[in-house]
Amino acid sequence: MGEAPVKLSLKGVCKSFRLRGTGADGQEQFINVLRNVNFDVRQGEIVSIIGESGCGKTTLLRIVQGLIRLDSGAIEVDGVPVKKPGRDRGFVFQQASLLPWRTARQNIEFGLELQNLTRAQRAQRANELLALVGLSHAADQLPHQLSGGMQQRIGLARAMAINPEILLMDEPFSALDAQTREVLQAELLRIQAETHKTTLFVTHDLDEAIYLSNRVVVLAAKPGRVKKIIDIPFRHPRPELPELRGDPLFQDIRAEMWELIRTPAPAVAA
Amino acid sequence: MTQPAIPLDQPLDNEAEVEILGPPPRARSIIWIVRLASIALVLGSWEFFGRQINPLFMSYPSAIFRAAVVLTASGELIEALGSSIRTLVIGFVSASAIGLVLGLLIGRYKLVDAATDWLVNALYSTPLVAILPLVILWFGLGDMAKLFIVSLLTVFPVLINTAAGVRNVPPALIDVGTAFAASEREIFLKIILPATVPYMMTGLRLGIGRAIIGMVVAEFFTAITGLGAMIVKYGNQYDTASMFVPILMLMLLGIGLTMMVRRAEEFFAPWRGNDD
Repeated sequence: MGEAPVKLSLKGVCKSFRLRGTGADGQEQFINVLRNVNFDVRQGEIVSIIGESGCGKTTLLRIVQGLIRLDSGAIEVDGVPVKKPGRDRGFVFQQASLLPWRTARQNIEFGLELQNLTRAQRAQRANELLALVGLSHAADQLPHQLSGGMQQRIGLARAMAINPEILLMDEPFSALDAQTREVLQAELLRIQAETHKTTLFVTHDLDEAIYLSNRVVVLAAKPGRVKKIIDIPFRHPRPELPELRGDPLFQDIRAEMWELIRTPAPAVAA
Repeated sequence: MTQPAIPLDQPLDNEAEVEILGPPPRARSIIWIVRLASIALVLGSWEFFGRQINPLFMSYPSAIFRAAVVLTASGELIEALGSSIRTLVIGFVSASAIGLVLGLLIGRYKLVDAATDWLVNALYSTPLVAILPLVILWFGLGDMAKLFIVSLLTVFPVLINTAAGVRNVPPALIDVGTAFAASEREIFLKIILPATVPYMMTGLRLGIGRAIIGMVVAEFFTAITGLGAMIVKYGNQYDTASMFVPILMLMLLGIGLTMMVRRAEEFFAPWRGNDD
């Protein structure tokens, strides 16, 4: 694993937001969301970002996609800085964010329509993706006719349809019930084994992070910064999550993460 | 894996049967019995009490029906209806087109909004039939005056709802466009426009009601053609039964047009459901 080349690189990423109004001294107030975040994601790796809520993990992911501009630092794909959204990165949203007037198939084709593809090429690609996420039978349903799990699969298919080099996933399974979540987690690993997509995955679920990832980046909050990067040694293909949970090593890693998240990091002067 | 598992998300074979859950058929027939009984009661008492009143002040269903037969046979009702519908359709369609386009611009571009919002709100709040005497001074008693008033009343609800629709497009959907590196034009055409359709349809539904009001009032004032003119004519002749005929026509027209817009709403925005 260690030999794979670096695909995605976060270098000294800083971000602060301006607060509404001014402080007691009449100065504009800023809140530091991310401070000097550095880490690499290697080709074909799944890396998860975890941290308590408000630690800026979603902000970080949106910066990587180019939805939010960073204050300083750089995001590099294959060593080239990227600043805007691009088709080299596919984004899976927390709420599937499907376009409600489009059928499952049309939603998958959304990204393809923005490229110069013929109708037949788009249809063929959509069919491949529908098959990949196991929803060929629901191709012509509207999102409100689909369950939450199905919507999220279509969201994943939409992101994968443009064949991005990097997949960015923002707590994609957090709104699902426990069973559906475990099914989709296993599904994601299966798809990952087929497609070898470099994946950056944001979650607040420790088990999910350990189960899915090659490495887990633990963020400290206020301001968000890398506290530790933990290697997850389990080999692929991995057993299903309930089985993996029984492994003492899993328990040790989980306990370490929990400790890291729970203990407040020494505050950094703003 | 000892046996093939059924995929979790597979739809049920008998989904169609699950769909029609709701009040059982028996309860539905009771609802209709009550409804019909209510209609019979109201029409019956109207007929009964209406006959006691001086026909100058009030009419009753059977007399109105006789008057309707006479007015239909003479062709007067059809001609008036045709004239009214023509005014309504031309005025409504042209005002809707203008309202949709302006609404999209005002909703999307903050500067256009800033330049026009005070005027739009002021005009929307004004009962614009009040300027009818002035409109007649400008355009005379012909069709132009009527079309102008119908359009003026229609355009604002369409425009305001369309602009509200554009402003209410969920940011998450716009994010989808941005994340997929869509251009401003693609985001507008593929996300903002379709997301606004339900609001547009609401605007059209409100617009049609106001268009009918505008049409009738304009016909009152010009009093030459149309259902409104008929009402004035038979009112002046103290023929109350005949006066009720165009009034009931207007009611049917209103119901029919509103239903058509509702159908269009379901057709163009099936994902929205009936939540308003």
